[in-house]
Amino acid sequence: MTLTNIIIALIIILLLSLVGLYVFYSRSDDEKLKMDIGGTAPRAAGGNDSSAGNGIRTRLLGLGLCIVAVVGTLVGRLWSMQLVSNDEYSEQAEQNRTRTISLVAPRGRILDRNGNELVGNRPALTVVSKPDVVENPIEVKLLANLIGMPAAAVRRKIQDQSEGAQSDRTVAQDVSRRVVAFIGEHPYLFEGVSVEERTARHYPYGQLAAHVVGYTGTVTREQLEESEKSTDQGAIVYQAGDTVGQAGVEYEYENVLQGVRGEQSVHVDANGVVSEYSTLVEPQSGSDVILTIDATVQQAAEESLGRIIENIRKKVSPRCCAGSVIAMDVTNGEILAMASAPTYSPNIFVGGISNDDWETLQSEASANPLMNRAIAGQYPSASTIKPLSAFAALDNRICDARSKFDCTGWWTGFGVASGQYCWKQSGHGEMTLESGITFSCDVVFYEIGKGFFESNNPEKFQEKLREWGLGSLTDVDLPGEGKGRVPDADWKWNYYTNAADVDRQWKGGDFTNLAIGQGDLLVTPIQMLCAYAGIATGGSQWRPHVLRSIRSRTGTGSVIDYEPQLLREVHEDPAYLSLVLRGLQGAIYEESEWIALHFNNMKERVAGKSGTGEQVGKNPTAWYIAFAPAQNPRYAVVSTIEDATWASGSALYVTRDVLGALFGEPDDALVAISDMQVAD
Amino acid sequence: MAVEQGIREGEMRGIFDGLLDKFGFALARMGGAGLQRKGPLGSVYLMQLIPNVLIVVFGTIVMWSASLTMVDASFPRHLGGIAIGFACAALVWAYDYRVFSGKSTLLLIIDIVLMLLPSVPGLGYNAMGMTGWVQVPLIGLRAQPSELAKPVTILLMASLTAEYNGRIETLRDYLKLCGVLCVPFVLILTQPDLGTGLIVLVLGASIIVCGGANSRWVLVTVGIIVVGAIVVVASSMTEGLPSILKQYQINRLVVFVDPSVDPTGNGYNLQQAKIAVGSGGLFGKGIGNASQAGGGFLPEAHTDFVFALLAEEFGFVGSMLLLFLFGWMILATVGLALRVESTFGKLVLVGVASMWAFQLLQNVGMCIGIMPITGIPLPFVSFGSSSMISQMVSAGLVQSVWHYRTKAG
Repeated sequence: MTLTNIIIALIIILLLSLVGLYVFYSRSDDEKLKMDIGGTAPRAAGGNDSSAGNGIRTRLLGLGLCIVAVVGTLVGRLWSMQLVSNDEYSEQAEQNRTRTISLVAPRGRILDRNGNELVGNRPALTVVSKPDVVENPIEVKLLANLIGMPAAAVRRKIQDQSEGAQSDRTVAQDVSRRVVAFIGEHPYLFEGVSVEERTARHYPYGQLAAHVVGYTGTVTREQLEESEKSTDQGAIVYQAGDTVGQAGVEYEYENVLQGVRGEQSVHVDANGVVSEYSTLVEPQSGSDVILTIDATVQQAAEESLGRIIENIRKKVSPRCCAGSVIAMDVTNGEILAMASAPTYSPNIFVGGISNDDWETLQSEASANPLMNRAIAGQYPSASTIKPLSAFAALDNRICDARSKFDCTGWWTGFGVASGQYCWKQSGHGEMTLESGITFSCDVVFYEIGKGFFESNNPEKFQEKLREWGLGSLTDVDLPGEGKGRVPDADWKWNYYTNAADVDRQWKGGDFTNLAIGQGDLLVTPIQMLCAYAGIATGGSQWRPHVLRSIRSRTGTGSVIDYEPQLLREVHEDPAYLSLVLRGLQGAIYEESEWIALHFNNMKERVAGKSGTGEQVGKNPTAWYIAFAPAQNPRYAVVSTIEDATWASGSALYVTRDVLGALFGEPDDALVAISDMQVAD
Repeated sequence: MAVEQGIREGEMRGIFDGLLDKFGFALARMGGAGLQRKGPLGSVYLMQLIPNVLIVVFGTIVMWSASLTMVDASFPRHLGGIAIGFACAALVWAYDYRVFSGKSTLLLIIDIVLMLLPSVPGLGYNAMGMTGWVQVPLIGLRAQPSELAKPVTILLMASLTAEYNGRIETLRDYLKLCGVLCVPFVLILTQPDLGTGLIVLVLGASIIVCGGANSRWVLVTVGIIVVGAIVVVASSMTEGLPSILKQYQINRLVVFVDPSVDPTGNGYNLQQAKIAVGSGGLFGKGIGNASQAGGGFLPEAHTDFVFALLAEEFGFVGSMLLLFLFGWMILATVGLALRVESTFGKLVLVGVASMWAFQLLQNVGMCIGIMPITGIPLPFVSFGSSSMISQMVSAGLVQSVWHYRTKAG
């Protein structure tokens, strides 16, 4: 009310009072308080006119008809609403007060082969809020103070639409009982805010096997759309805000781990307060996934990989931080350990990863810790390819077991202008194919490359490499596997489209590079591991896998075991196989006393091969692949370390430590980084 | 041709008049049976009193059920309103209404003062979006004076119109009456309270029309009002032109035309009211079982949307009973108007009857989607003592007309 209004009102009242007083005192008693507007007052009111107007009766009847019409209209409409359309409205009333609450099913656990829980569940009290709470700054401030977060952070969380525009927003996970109690006792302060009991992933072993188990996250919009489109029977239909696997086993076995949501219908009032519970469909827990991973071996593998990388970084190569190791049962493809460095903690994804953490994981400086280098890292295989080159040479009659090679350290098979050094520039002297593998003599394999280059069908070489599985997926049951690359003439021509024609052509040098595993060749550690497993078993490569069995947590608790699958069978002459096997054992026991020192303390005989892959602008990638026992192989282990040094002895330690964990025979020989200068 | 048509028109009119006569006879019997009645209850008009009491009882039951779930619906306060209202009605009944016929100036002044009370500093109470309220200083009692202005306006318009004794013969006289009616109407609009304003307009117009106004003038006036309303609405809804209506009023109109436009705001209220009424079915959900009202989905279930609550709890049977009682009460009032001798008495009854009819149409109609949403209470049922007292006083006027039906002035 403005002052002007008040003044106007007062003036009007004053004027009216004056007029009233004037009228009251200026008239005779009869005329007092009567407004004369010129009519003839009827007798009943003290006037003189006694003739009633003729029109009044008709008009009164008209008024009566109007009233009947009004009531009739209302009756008609009520008839149609309450009797004819009653079902429709009743349904709407029922819809109004019925809400379906979805009950989240606990996710299945992930266990190692001995039943140790790698990933479990724990209850987590979560504060959620309706999106419109953000419009009430006082409430946001109160909530922020209660939870102990800055108000701006709370606001950002409530505005975050990643869980769906309409859905409740997660404000804080894992809040204390005190917070829950306070919100419960002051509902009027926290309108639109509620507490939900959810389950969160729990990692009893910390970040152990992080790359294998992977991590979970809130279902993405793409996943939601995909699950809605899916027409598969029994396919999971996600809701916004669901937790789903985003990497590793969590992703690969999502449809096993994810349970079936339960539902409960409740009656609510307009504020959403539940007054009555009705029908309930119990949630079904997801199944447990039992892995082939052995937590003990895994721990040894991760500890060793981390320790060796740390040593190299301190003493030899300051940028060294990445590597991988895999241990596999060659008889069935079970992976007992798989580690990748640098690693990460899956725990930071619980309840949604913060932007800062995500950016750190993505930044160049952190060397992509989310990548599982054991299956996705692609490197030149370096000398580890030499056994396969030997098979190619033997099968295609490029040379045979008795062929002699003379290594002077400097090879000029394609003329002096394109001469190439052996890694041992002082020369190996006279070599055979077998000793070429043992001592990793490059000259032997330069000759093989040259032999293929000059043969009628040079690409038989690549064919052989592909036969052993290079350039194709091993089909391991983990997401993100790399395919690698076996280069050939066609590939080179099409790949280097910007180079001069002469540089795009396949040359003899490409073959000599390929024969020693350098140049354009790319392989993944798991590919090489499978190839060596094939050598160990005499040609059978089993599909590598991390799943051992699936155990249902509902009903009868039935168990489904993983049936090993043969990935491929390579047929090699047994004589060739034993030649290569001898060469690989020689690499362990004969190449250098110092290497032998680390394996003589093992009861089982070991066969293995090192490799040092040259990298442009970086220190080389170190490889070491070994399997044991040599005569009746059981386990194969591959290790790689990026940006290591001219010393595959570094990776050797990791491989040796994992073999030690597998056979219960730790390496007790002294490890000195200065020793690493010896090998390859 | 022309002659033939004229005859046919005449026949038609004859048939129509015949029907109207029968209707009038029925109404008059309803209102006038025993006009000369004597005895202990001779001074009480039972034909209006009985349905009125039943409506109040029915409303009391509904309000009691509302008080079970709604904190705002205070049952004792409702009973208090009925008690005060009944006392006022008894006073009015005992008083000779004809006295007012000679007090038109006083009535106009009272009317104006009532309308202006909410604008007086220290008295006006405009909290929480409510307009037109007065809070008595020190006591803290709140009231809506515009409610009380309704019976005053009835008396004012009836006393002025009665002076013409059923023959408003010059346009000048007609315009004078319309002009007086505009005073309370415009004052209410400034509060602003469009709902009560419309009631005052309708009851005043009914008195003027029944008071013998030339039908041509009436039609022209209706035309002007319709055109004016269209201009006001169009101007308010057009960007750049002055907005006379408030935004919420525009919203209500938009929602009335298409309820799906805004299912959470005004459209939500309308939708919830319709669901409440429709889901009541034949016998209703029973007292205290109204999920729409009890669950809080139906807003203002004890005031503006009280009919929806009633229809949900008592179903079609209950709403028919209410409409029957209202129809009975209003038609009995018109019937009495047909029979009483005094023009002033007739017109007072016309005012009261048209007020009840319009409020019934507006309040029930808005719950079932045939009228736009306005804050008009359902007489004798809605929670609110100002309305209850004002309606009881109006009923008292009807009783007073009966009471002093025969005595010459």
